[in-house]
Amino acid sequence: MMKKYLLLFCSVLMVSTLVSCDTSNFGNISQHIGTAMTVADATSKAARPISEEEEYYVGRAVAAKILGSYQLSTDAVLTRYVNLVGKTVALNSDKPFTHGGYHFAILETNEINAFAAPGGTIFITHGMIRTTASEDELAAVIAHEVAHIAKRDGISAIKSARWTQAVTLIGTTAAKNYTSGEVSQLVGLFEGSIDDIFKTLVVNGYSRSQEYAADEGALQTLAKCGYDPRALPSFLKRLEQRGRSSGGGIMQTHPGTADRIENISGKMPSTAQIHPRATEARMARFSGAVR
Amino acid sequence: MMKRTLLLSLVLTFIASAVLAETVTVITKENAIREYAKFFAPVKANVRYGDRLEAFATEGDWYKVKYGPSIGYIHRSAVEKRTVASPASYSRKGSSVSESEAALAGKGFNPQVEASYKKQHPEMKFYLVDSVERYPVPDRDVVQFIVAGGLRQP
Repeated sequence: MMKKYLLLFCSVLMVSTLVSCDTSNFGNISQHIGTAMTVADATSKAARPISEEEEYYVGRAVAAKILGSYQLSTDAVLTRYVNLVGKTVALNSDKPFTHGGYHFAILETNEINAFAAPGGTIFITHGMIRTTASEDELAAVIAHEVAHIAKRDGISAIKSARWTQAVTLIGTTAAKNYTSGEVSQLVGLFEGSIDDIFKTLVVNGYSRSQEYAADEGALQTLAKCGYDPRALPSFLKRLEQRGRSSGGGIMQTHPGTADRIENISGKMPSTAQIHPRATEARMARFSGAVR
Repeated sequence: MMKRTLLLSLVLTFIASAVLAETVTVITKENAIREYAKFFAPVKANVRYGDRLEAFATEGDWYKVKYGPSIGYIHRSAVEKRTVASPASYSRKGSSVSESEAALAGKGFNPQVEASYKKQHPEMKFYLVDSVERYPVPDRDVVQFIVAGGLRQP
């Protein structure tokens, strides 16, 4: 009997030792989790990164500002369709979840453009949707915007001096709720952050490298979804033709489409052939929604 | 013999979990613990911002976690290793956050700052943002959409 218990004890000890040393499976936990800074660590540094929750609140205000400049579409069929394509794309992206989730809305304008507010709200203009020729191309546009959110490009537009000032103020306050003076200062910094992002989204655009990275991320996401990644260059070619005549919008805030096409050529992920029935089904619902 | 093997596996599972478990905190407003590591797998438990889970294994981009009596999977983008404050609107039993942790975590650009900003800018259309955020897209509709379009279920 004693021998059996000894054997059991040794087995348990051996397995627990083996498991704790195994890096093939469980080691990833520390790798993933370990990279996330704890709040305590973060606040002790001069400029901690903005948190997911803070990004959400900044993103809501950016979205409100965009909706002050553009009219929200009331097309129920198209809104539902864009949301379904959008959710499919977001779930296959590098960041399927954000604090407040992904949301998709259409702006009632002929301008060809799309905006990703930090935190997950994506706006696409009617003009942009009408420039796409298939569901796969619409998915390509959305995948590009989702990549900007996943890479936190919007948030990176906040001037570092402004954020450092905010962190300093936040770090010196002991209570969770601020005094009116502190709130007033923070609101000023909040407003400045919103302006930084809005200016980047609507006027200046992201850097060339951020746009290229978003295109590359979109290719991978499209392939994961089962969409044809070649829809991105095919859309960009059409955009170039339309953009030449329209100017403004996306042509003002994005690098030249010829350069974007060149950047992704040779980076096309391999995908399985799409069944003709799937192509037909997608085309039918695209035509039904995009009228 | 059968009994002993069962006992042995139970003990091993317990020890492996104890050795490897790490606490992770939900950073999304709402999320779900799924039966297996897929987005549309059956929901075993609903979790909310600030809930703490014990992560004891990984499977691709998913953590195998324990939350109360439920064991299942949650995507890694929905959690972080840190403590977050539970705002009143999200808070519920079982999410124990100390005063100091709350003081650190709940600060920054938060609902209080948004409320003050709204007061100063009544022209900002937050009600439209709320309507965009509230637009319902049920899981079953997304699944049907994916299947009908010959797309891959994530």
